[in-house]
Amino acid sequence: MEKHPHLLLWKAVFVLIIIGLGFGVYASSKSIDYTWRWERIPQYILSTEPLEIRSPFDGTVTVDETNKLVTVESDFGDEPLVIKGFDTLLINDGDLVFEGDPLVETKHWNIGPLTWGLIMTLQLSVVSLIFAVIIGLFTGLARISSNPALRYLSVTYIELIRGTPLLVQIFIFYFFIGTVLDLDRFTAGVAALSVFTGAYIAEIVRSGIQSIHPGQMEAARSLGMNYVQAMVNVILPQAFKRTLPPMAGQFINLIKDSSLVSVISITDLTKAGREVVSSTFAPFEVWFAVALMYLILTGALSWAIQRLEKRLSASD
Amino acid sequence: MTNVSDKSIIQARNVEKVYPNGCHALKQVSLDINRGEVVVIIGPSGSGKSTFLRTLNQLETISDGTIHIDDISLTDRKTNINKVREEVGMVFQSFNLFPHKTALGNVALSPIKVKKKTRDVAETEGRELLKKVGLAERMNNYPSHLSGGQQQRVAIARALAMHPKIMLFDEPTSALDPEMVGEVLDVMKSLAGDGMTMVVVTHEMGFAREVADRVVFMEEGELVFEESPDRFFESDNPRLQRFLGQVL
Ligand SMILES: Nc1ncnc2c1ncn2[C@@H]1O[C@H](COP(=O)(O)OP(=O)(O)OP(=O)(O)O)[C@@H](O)[C@H]1O
Ligand SMILES: [Mg+2]
Repeated sequence: MEKHPHLLLWKAVFVLIIIGLGFGVYASSKSIDYTWRWERIPQYILSTEPLEIRSPFDGTVTVDETNKLVTVESDFGDEPLVIKGFDTLLINDGDLVFEGDPLVETKHWNIGPLTWGLIMTLQLSVVSLIFAVIIGLFTGLARISSNPALRYLSVTYIELIRGTPLLVQIFIFYFFIGTVLDLDRFTAGVAALSVFTGAYIAEIVRSGIQSIHPGQMEAARSLGMNYVQAMVNVILPQAFKRTLPPMAGQFINLIKDSSLVSVISITDLTKAGREVVSSTFAPFEVWFAVALMYLILTGALSWAIQRLEKRLSASD
Repeated sequence: MTNVSDKSIIQARNVEKVYPNGCHALKQVSLDINRGEVVVIIGPSGSGKSTFLRTLNQLETISDGTIHIDDISLTDRKTNINKVREEVGMVFQSFNLFPHKTALGNVALSPIKVKKKTRDVAETEGRELLKKVGLAERMNNYPSHLSGGQQQRVAIARALAMHPKIMLFDEPTSALDPEMVGEVLDVMKSLAGDGMTMVVVTHEMGFAREVADRVVFMEEGELVFEESPDRFFESDNPRLQRFLGQVL
């Protein structure tokens, strides 16, 4: 890429525009008289809660010089109690304690509802992604197969799925197929997402395979490989590399599309966001936080795929 | 039949090829090729040379006639074409190396996947073959880091790795810069010297004169004329004369 003559200037312009936009958001929130309460958000992501450890018997406390080790000698000859790794001491060296007296406090980490939502979104996305890739691979192969039945089947599937909204498909999967096959919410959600994404992946796979020069298949076959061996060892590895960028886009779409399954009461990141809004009354902050958490997922994914692309470019 | 097959390893009889688009590419082509023989096919563009070569390992199916390779009928539905292809190596004009594999990876792939050799054995043999075609130093290069001549030599080694009985060459030097033609022809010459049965489509008349046991002239899907090289180039066949007049 050629270096732009006024690179620094334009970078400054970019930063100014971003700051301007930020200020715009701030100003407009002022104009509607909104009080930002960011401090309410973190506890819904991660919170701590003190946890006390109490003495199991009557006894005498010894605390070592470093204040890191507490030993309680029992008055009745029980095994002495040794406590390590706590945050706050509640007693002093030499104290006499009775059964049930608090000795020390440790911080206990609690995962908040937004984080649980993030985990659910991640689970939904990963499981759907695996199935979507499998569905897409086989449908893509069927799409270019010489067998007309396979070809028509795959075309029908792809057109049906791409021609209807995902939201409607989710309802169909949950209320119709889910009822018939007795699926739980999560399974129905994963099924809808994988079937939906699979149709798009099929097209990516098809165009990837068709972009490989036919001479590659001929060379492989001329060496005695059968169709499957040639596909697996020669065509697909090359197609895989070429389809990585559109695949990355599709995977990112999958993560974002997974927010739609909140309509069948799966507590994913979006539904968690809605619930937190109703208990904090801080909708702006919550939705910004939720957006940021989606960005972290999609950003990590596109970073990983870029790394993979770099690794695979060794043969270029 | 048994008598003939004692000598000839390829028997093509009355081969017809009509492409799905209606193009009549081969008309009643018959050719017998003996074990260890080097046959060069020449002819103008579009005369069906590639089509004929590709019918010999069934990259193209034929519309009529019969082809036997080492007494195995290619038109017989019971024939396992993959087995036949193991015996018939092919070298393409555009090399068709696997770009995601190194030179050695290209050579070892099929022995590992098809012949089920261990990676060690396949790579040891592959190194030998690459040495033989003069690429001992380039084994771990990817095709994109090899010159055309080097790529074509890897392609020859890759075909040889299956220990074929027959080698087919479809204009192996046509895509090469002139200074690289020689290195590929040299490999082919040494292969002919080792007694390999070879069918070569080429415009290299020097190679035909020097290495071929027989030269075949095709035009408009027909096999017009076949002779030993010295008589071939002396022939006064008018169609051949016209063609040679154009290329020489
Ligand atoms: N896949 C195909 N489908 C339809 N027609 C084809 C196909 N391949 C070749 N042909 C036609 O068959 C005829 C013979 O082609 P072929 O490639 O065998 O000629 P050739 O002698 O190898 O020519 P060249 O020297 O240009 O390679 C040509 O008229 C060509 O247009
Ligand atoms: Mg040709």
